[in-house]
Amino acid sequence: MSELQHTVKGVDHVAYPTFDPAGTVKFYRDVLGFPVVHSICAAGWGPEKHPDFIHFFFDIGNDDRLAFFYYFGLEPFDGGPQGDSYSRFAEDVPIFFIRSRHLAIHVDSEDDLMEYRHRLDGSAWPVEMQIQHETIESIYTHDPNGYMIEITRALRPVTPQEDLDANLTIDALVDVVTGPDPSMDALLTRKAELITERAAAWQQQQESKEMATR
Amino acid sequence: MTTLFVLDVPENTAVAEVAGRDPAVTVDHVGPYFRIVSDSDIVIDRRTTGCRHAVWYSSVAGLAQSRITQWDKDAMRIEPR
Repeated sequence: MSELQHTVKGVDHVAYPTFDPAGTVKFYRDVLGFPVVHSICAAGWGPEKHPDFIHFFFDIGNDDRLAFFYYFGLEPFDGGPQGDSYSRFAEDVPIFFIRSRHLAIHVDSEDDLMEYRHRLDGSAWPVEMQIQHETIESIYTHDPNGYMIEITRALRPVTPQEDLDANLTIDALVDVVTGPDPSMDALLTRKAELITERAAAWQQQQESKEMATR
Repeated sequence: MTTLFVLDVPENTAVAEVAGRDPAVTVDHVGPYFRIVSDSDIVIDRRTTGCRHAVWYSSVAGLAQSRITQWDKDAMRIEPR
């Protein structure tokens, strides 16, 4: 495990392009209630033919921000019938792959999740799916730019053994993908070796930590 | 020997419990993992565990000298390699 100091503080901003700033403001500010907290009006400059643009930011809680770029006069780029304002895909690209890249915004409670569901369901962008995964519950929709947005809550806190398990999974994954024939079977076999090597010692360490805090 | 590891978290306890109902199967712990061992195949019925699909299809943590020969909505079967 890494011994490097971990001093970062979450997402400053994540930025996407938009060809529909009016729809984007309606969706994030008026439907979801995310305040506009910053914007930059910039004339195009420099050697490239950079268009004039507006860079605008919504507060998504925790002082984190979701930002957009709108470029005056820029038309959407081709690339296929599927996807969003940033990425277009050919017909044969599977939907699980297209949906893999998405933004998930956290809420603390079921009431908060249902409040956002209510806001979306009353809009032109109703909730498309509500799913309970193992330990989280999420709602999903696509914003006016086609970007998939998830709002999610934890059904229970993540336990220390899940952090151990995640690290063993990732060490096993790195091992098998640098080997000849990556597969789930290879990963689970490698992970069993790591469990045998490390899990008992981890448990002892946890127990002595607990003793020390008593 | 068939050996299956399952992380001991609340969602997975039924997987280990149902596996252990087979008298040929022994279940113990290695750190925070259930170690489920048998001299023959380990077969776990999903509906008996009550696991939803997302839990069911992510419940296996490791396989020692073993391989999964069935993992669908009905059951999981682990055989010696």
